[in-house]
Amino acid sequence: MTRPIETGIDLLVLHTLRCCGYCGVARVAAATALDEPTVESELIDLAVAGHVTRLSGAWGLTESGRAEDARRITDELETAGARPAVTAGYERFLELNPELLDLCTAWQLRTVDGVPTVNKHDDPSYDARVLDLFADLDRRLAPVCGELSAVLPRFARYPARLTEALGRATAGELGRVTDDTASYHTVWAELHEDLLATLGIPR
Amino acid sequence: MRWVRPVSARVAETPDVLGSKAHGLVLLHRLGLPVPAGFVVTTPACREFLRTGSFPTGLAEELRAATADLETRTGRRFGGGDRPLAVSVRSGAGVSMPGMMSTVLNLGLTTEATAALAAETGDPRFATASRRRLLSSFASALTGTDVDIPPADTPPANTGAAIPDAAADQLTLAVRTVFSSWNTPRARTYRRLHGIADDLGTAAIVQTMVFGNRDGRSGTGVAFSRDPNTGENVPFGDVLFERQGEDVVSGRAPTLPLRALADREPAVWAGLLDALRRIEDHYRDACYVEFTFQAGELWFLQVRPGRFTGAATVRVATDLADEGVLTRGEALLRVSPHHLEHARTLRIVAAPDVDVLTRGVGACPGVAAGRIATTADAAVRMAADGPVVLVRPETSPHDMRGLAAATGVLTARGGPASHAAVVARTMGKPAVVGAVDLTVDDTSIRVGGRTLGEGTTITIDGTSGEVALGRPRAATGAAGAHLHRLLAWADDASGDRSARGEAQRLRDAHAALRRD
Repeated sequence: MTRPIETGIDLLVLHTLRCCGYCGVARVAAATALDEPTVESELIDLAVAGHVTRLSGAWGLTESGRAEDARRITDELETAGARPAVTAGYERFLELNPELLDLCTAWQLRTVDGVPTVNKHDDPSYDARVLDLFADLDRRLAPVCGELSAVLPRFARYPARLTEALGRATAGELGRVTDDTASYHTVWAELHEDLLATLGIPR
Repeated sequence: MRWVRPVSARVAETPDVLGSKAHGLVLLHRLGLPVPAGFVVTTPACREFLRTGSFPTGLAEELRAATADLETRTGRRFGGGDRPLAVSVRSGAGVSMPGMMSTVLNLGLTTEATAALAAETGDPRFATASRRRLLSSFASALTGTDVDIPPADTPPANTGAAIPDAAADQLTLAVRTVFSSWNTPRARTYRRLHGIADDLGTAAIVQTMVFGNRDGRSGTGVAFSRDPNTGENVPFGDVLFERQGEDVVSGRAPTLPLRALADREPAVWAGLLDALRRIEDHYRDACYVEFTFQAGELWFLQVRPGRFTGAATVRVATDLADEGVLTRGEALLRVSPHHLEHARTLRIVAAPDVDVLTRGVGACPGVAAGRIATTADAAVRMAADGPVVLVRPETSPHDMRGLAAATGVLTARGGPASHAAVVARTMGKPAVVGAVDLTVDDTSIRVGGRTLGEGTTITIDGTSGEVALGRPRAATGAAGAHLHRLLAWADDASGDRSARGEAQRLRDAHAALRRD
């Protein structure tokens, strides 16, 4: 029997750092859909508890924060009875993951006269073809995210962020595909890390 | 037979029907080179399977007949008897693509056949290891993931993939798996990306196993007829003794340079050199082969043209013109203007204050300086703030985005034909592989007795294999003599001697040659 659990905001902030590595307040806010003052206040509380630390402007987990996150995120998973659903979701994600990597590579490199060359993004039709394939992949990821969020609602942030990244890339912000911290690739990698962390699978 | 062809010199069909791998095997037969006996299930059979979801009428019987024929030719029995027959099954489309099943080795080593193989060879360890390779490679093929070979004499962990214990059933399942893999979502995406038609289908090649893991006089390797880094006319590649199949290409095991064969297996070495020459004569180009030797006997498993890039293409084309193999016009047309972008090579300038940490094998020429990133994710993340060098124990396709983001790559394992080396070369990125002294930890590396954290700046020289601390000076050597000559021929062809860029000179020559 599964009972969807809304993750508390302190755990949400803690776990975001677990999945993103060191990052600033704005990035945590974007990942959690919380406003920046709320994030900052949570981070300060977590720092007082010894779970997070601030290094040259970026926040990250301490050893104790990592352990605390593992304990609470596992507890959340088991309480929600979500392990079977998340395991199934992870397996379906793994089937899609190599394709995402192929597409990122195609975004960065293209073969001209048999020579793989850096994609200079000077051929809109090529870029459009790659972005179409990203959109196709995104459509196939959507039901996976849907099943994850049905048992753990915090997973609903991923499809929202992924779809936004793709929308912006299609509108001309090319960095939103692979390059910047809100890119499709980055959010995808965070989802990958989240699934591993949630299931307690080491890299 | 309608769906199946024996792989022999007499087969006349095109790669569309046979797949390019089997077509290459036919070429090897025609050149009189040793190829393990085998047959190919053609692409029309695959298309029919994909259309209806089951084997076309007659294919099951043809598979039985072709297997019986293999048994006759080898004097072995598939799945049992005193002398068991084992085969490999490989996909072989016109174009290779990610997402497709690659290879199942040692098919037919059922429980009974494994016992028979142990009795025949008097080497139970070899027989069990070969059976384990069957189980792991089959499980990998069925699940589309890497299933590791377990260390002990146990079957691999339950993968949810049931592998039948009857040889004929194994073969049917393997061929079905090859065919089905044409339509994995990943393969479909790849085809859409590269404009490859969706309805071509793939062939499946079934070949008698030769065992590179048989004994101390066995092994497996890959070879280029010329050095793919420089184009120099010397054979180049990797060899692994007492190993099988994918071990060389994956970089999973430390390889030896090809020349190691000259001392340990001189007859194999001589046979290889002779073959490379014959294949070059046929292609009129550098070539690549995969080979296995069992108990000192050499066999070829794959062949294709070399497909070099950058300076190596320039050198091979000029050398082949000098050797009289190509006309100068043909040589010019072999080189794309895109190759010229990669044709000038930086080197670390030797100086007393260069702090050399270690030396690996230079796998793609050029110098890269950047901060150490120990994972693909870190490389992508860190690359936003400046150049990074990706440092990995070895690389897999999962490191591709890291490789793409990095300015160069350094690996502890693998030889010059490992995944890291091949990918780096295709991207024109400096690469040093097989730095055996290097250990990669979570967020640091250990090398030469020192520990360097992620973010530390190092410099790699993909020609010499040197790895240096910090950012020593680098400079291009004298512009390649080969490039100069090629461009002079280009001006002869175009009749234009005005001052302009190298790529333009080549483009003008191409235009003039294509007009003629």
